[in-house]
Amino acid sequence: MKINTKNVEVPEIDMTPMIDVVFQLIAFFMVITNFEQTQADERVKLPKDQLAKPAEVKREDKLTLNVGFKRDAEGNKQSEALVLLFGEDIPVLQMGPKLKQESKIYKQKGTDPKDVTIIIRADAEVPTGLVQELIKLAQEAEFEKFSLAATQISD
Amino acid sequence: MKFRRKGEQAKIESQMAPMIDVVFQLLIFFILTLKIIEPEGDFNVNLPISAPAQAETDRPLPDIKVRLIANDDGNLGQLVLGRRKLGTGDQAFELLNREILKMIGRPGNPLTKDIEVELDADYNLHYRYIVKGISACTGRLDPRTKKIVPYIEKIKFAPPHRPE
Repeated sequence: MKINTKNVEVPEIDMTPMIDVVFQLIAFFMVITNFEQTQADERVKLPKDQLAKPAEVKREDKLTLNVGFKRDAEGNKQSEALVLLFGEDIPVLQMGPKLKQESKIYKQKGTDPKDVTIIIRADAEVPTGLVQELIKLAQEAEFEKFSLAATQISD
Repeated sequence: MKFRRKGEQAKIESQMAPMIDVVFQLLIFFILTLKIIEPEGDFNVNLPISAPAQAETDRPLPDIKVRLIANDDGNLGQLVLGRRKLGTGDQAFELLNREILKMIGRPGNPLTKDIEVELDADYNLHYRYIVKGISACTGRLDPRTKKIVPYIEKIKFAPPHRPE
């Protein structure tokens, strides 16, 4: 029997549908990717509430303070309540100098600290007293506008 | 000289491999950088430090005082409106919401524009209860229109009771 070895046809794969799908996926991910630099910290588990609504007017000057805990893999608290700010973990009661420094920076930039909104993103389990202490320290650094963040729930 | 005839035109084959490489790189980049963020909102509270406390007698209506008493573990032990105990749990906050509505008469009542709610919480109370308290005082969500019906906008905190 004669076997034809030379003229084996290489099957051509039609790439068009795959490329279509891949472009669709890229377009999807590009649209839903949030490029805005958010200052949210994933370690903070915010309380949930129905009435928490996003600000109607976009705040020009805002300073986000994430208050949370260091937790282990199972979610158990491993530290006291800390302010997680720009990669630093500072105990809440030691935030005074840092807030005064921030206030000074705003003043140097020509912004009145009174016009800056402090957004407090506190973990649901943070003691309320510490949140109040943080607000007090911010008030001493001349900040006046505060906003307490929560995750929106809808039912 | 030899001219190339029409039939002999070389077929230009597009190189798909580099394009597919780049496209997959892009796809992987977007997949890895994707962060699913839950929608967030916030409650505004204005707490100027220098504003002198207005005397109770100067105001037509007194402040509403809400006390949140904590258990040792930081959970809510008792919710108190004025001197009335409202209990614990979500029902207590629903009751608070209804009582606030009774006090203001109707949502958006201009006479109650100046009323303030003072939240007085124990130091170790978990922050989630303060958010629930603020939420119960500021209004409710209309189940039909899904819009917020505002009750009281001015919320303030009593000074913290730092443990000795």
